[in-house]
Amino acid sequence: MDFANSTQLFGLEHVYWQLPLVAYPFLSGLVAGSFIVGSLSHVFGLKRFEPLAKMAIIVTLAFLIGAALAPLAEAWQRERFWELITRDHFPYSPLGMFIIVWIAYVILVLVEMYFLFRQDNIYLAQHGRGWRKTWHGLLTFGSRNLSEPSLKRDHTILVCLAAAGIVLAFAFHGYVGFVFGALKARPLWSSPMMPVIFLISAIVSGIAAMITVYTLIQGGLGEKPVDSDILDGLMGLMKWAIFVDLFLDLIELLTSGVRSYASLPVYRGFSAIFFSSGPLAFNYWVVQIGLLIVVLVMTFVRPLRRSLAGSNIAAFLALVSVFAMRYNTVIGAELQPKASQGLVRYTPTWFGMDSWQVVIGLFAIVVFLVSLSLLLLPWERSWTASWSNEGAAVPVLPGAAAGHAAGPKKGGTS
Amino acid sequence: MATKNSDLDPGGLSRRAILKGLMGVAAGAAMPLAAHAALQSGPPARKAGTGLPPETQPEPSLDPRKNPSWEGWNNPRLGPTNGWSDASESAAWTTILNPDGLAIYHDRFYRIPESHPKHHWVMVMDTRKCVGCQACVVSCKSENNVPLGVYRTWVDVYQTGDTVPDPEGDVVLDGRRYRMDAKVVNMPKICNHCAHPPCVEVCPVKATFKRQDGIVMVDPRLCIGCGTCVNACPYDARFINPVSQVADKCTFCVERVDAGLLPACVTSCVGRARVFGDILDPNSEVSHLLARYPHSVRHPEFGTDPQVFYIGESGDISTDPDPNVQHMVFTYTSNANSNVPGGVDVI
Repeated sequence: MDFANSTQLFGLEHVYWQLPLVAYPFLSGLVAGSFIVGSLSHVFGLKRFEPLAKMAIIVTLAFLIGAALAPLAEAWQRERFWELITRDHFPYSPLGMFIIVWIAYVILVLVEMYFLFRQDNIYLAQHGRGWRKTWHGLLTFGSRNLSEPSLKRDHTILVCLAAAGIVLAFAFHGYVGFVFGALKARPLWSSPMMPVIFLISAIVSGIAAMITVYTLIQGGLGEKPVDSDILDGLMGLMKWAIFVDLFLDLIELLTSGVRSYASLPVYRGFSAIFFSSGPLAFNYWVVQIGLLIVVLVMTFVRPLRRSLAGSNIAAFLALVSVFAMRYNTVIGAELQPKASQGLVRYTPTWFGMDSWQVVIGLFAIVVFLVSLSLLLLPWERSWTASWSNEGAAVPVLPGAAAGHAAGPKKGGTS
Repeated sequence: MATKNSDLDPGGLSRRAILKGLMGVAAGAAMPLAAHAALQSGPPARKAGTGLPPETQPEPSLDPRKNPSWEGWNNPRLGPTNGWSDASESAAWTTILNPDGLAIYHDRFYRIPESHPKHHWVMVMDTRKCVGCQACVVSCKSENNVPLGVYRTWVDVYQTGDTVPDPEGDVVLDGRRYRMDAKVVNMPKICNHCAHPPCVEVCPVKATFKRQDGIVMVDPRLCIGCGTCVNACPYDARFINPVSQVADKCTFCVERVDAGLLPACVTSCVGRARVFGDILDPNSEVSHLLARYPHSVRHPEFGTDPQVFYIGESGDISTDPDPNVQHMVFTYTSNANSNVPGGVDVI
């Protein structure tokens, strides 16, 4: 039996955390990033991004569920998942901490969704057709109050929730970085930079994902055409996130790729894996760094920034770059042997446990959840109208007027 | 032979005739085999009546994931009466892991010395006496049913030094004489049962624990197999057991230690290089050895405070990643391109 080339056997120096654990920080990065984008209109008063709020919260929830499934897909006894709650090693284990932050995040997102969709749900509970009347009635939890003070209270609650959510988003994704950063046995993981690097690239990928989702949903299903101002704004945000991300990449390179500055194990691992003849050299220099620089250049070109194709190509490249960064960080550090010499061999497989199949499946679950929410939740006001008894007539909700009245006072523009 | 002859025949036979000839030869060759098989199938039929399934099984797969029964983990011959029914399995594991009900620790390991434990088990590797025979690896596999491809203990063999020119040397190459100025180092490696084990602290479900007497173990009933502890161990002492699919590691043969016996690797060590004992007992052999000889531990820089001590290794006893400094002549690592000097950037 050819042990050396067998991916079947474990043995010493095996890459135990494979592709699902690459997808895990990627998915949770999209959670953090899309939530922060969604909160822009509430917390930072950027009224321009108000149409993104509902979309962002649904995408956040879908990615949040996908993010929790990824480490479970990696676990060999995943049917014992309930132990994560009943026997949680809080607060000593990074993964044990993660489950607490995750549950808190899910609760927060659900509550925020309730308040975001409350007006439309109440309207549909009163005027909806067929099963929608019952379904949206359930979603209102019996509340039918659409008075001016209650809408103002909604707005206050949403601002508070979004602010708390941003803190949680930072905690959530920072902790994903810490899951790796806490393992001192791997020199390339054991770095205080880890949570910060993960967080900033999370914001890059989150903004990129919002560009793609906004184009798909608004362009495909929305009433109004895609607003190039929103694309422009998101690309502008992405520019600054990429600046910080590249800066952190440079720091990482200086502190681990230069022999004079880095500790010996870190330098040895980094240079053997990412330098000229290393197994991940192309993945690091071309895909992770190179594509990010290409996207950065694209965000400076005004016609590209405002065009549908240009911004979406940039978003796609940014997503590929961030996925490569996750791959380099997670797999790269595991290629450095702990008790022997050389580099650990690893080739991702297409089918079976820990393969691309699992990653594609995780993304399919996310896409399915987003699609399901298209059917079950009124993303747009025009849908509310078409789902109600009044037909195509756009309803004039009392909340819509109140919301616009409150808007200029808060934001100052619009 | 038949084809050869027909090829040589200048007149040329028809293709059908060649095929007929081939078939005849094949049938002739098969006859003795069939007779052999008939003889072989005789005895088991007569032996039947022991109540056990037949010993011979059709070509078991060597991949433990395809064939979980091959080592007895899931052996169909172990019935409920052997103490491994579903109901009694849980009780059996409690007996194996902690029969005396010692306190167990998942974090804050400084409480262990404060709790005044009765014993503190340590191992001393006297590498001056290790001959690299690998008997400990075999006995560990046999004692603990360790599946193929994974190891609870292993002995890496290195060679340090070089072949140097020497007019008196016994190696002659291209008319010049050389001498092997090299040293072979045998490094028995095992779980260090660290005083501050990072693998235990990172477990999200408190499945792995450190017993009051210092032994670090995994409870296979609780482990979710997430692999965090495997990655957190700086010594690569943990693995996911491909058969039970939970984290697995050296237990110092806890069931033997609790019964007053020595670990299997210690009893099988031909040179008495492995010494096991209670460091709290000043008269134990380990206490004597550690008081008498300078000793070191693997990777002290991680701050894990290993409890497996090495005597007879001057200087660094960790593996040097540079094969030009320390050439690994024998390794259990099947997944790395060890022994390939070009594979590592050595600056």
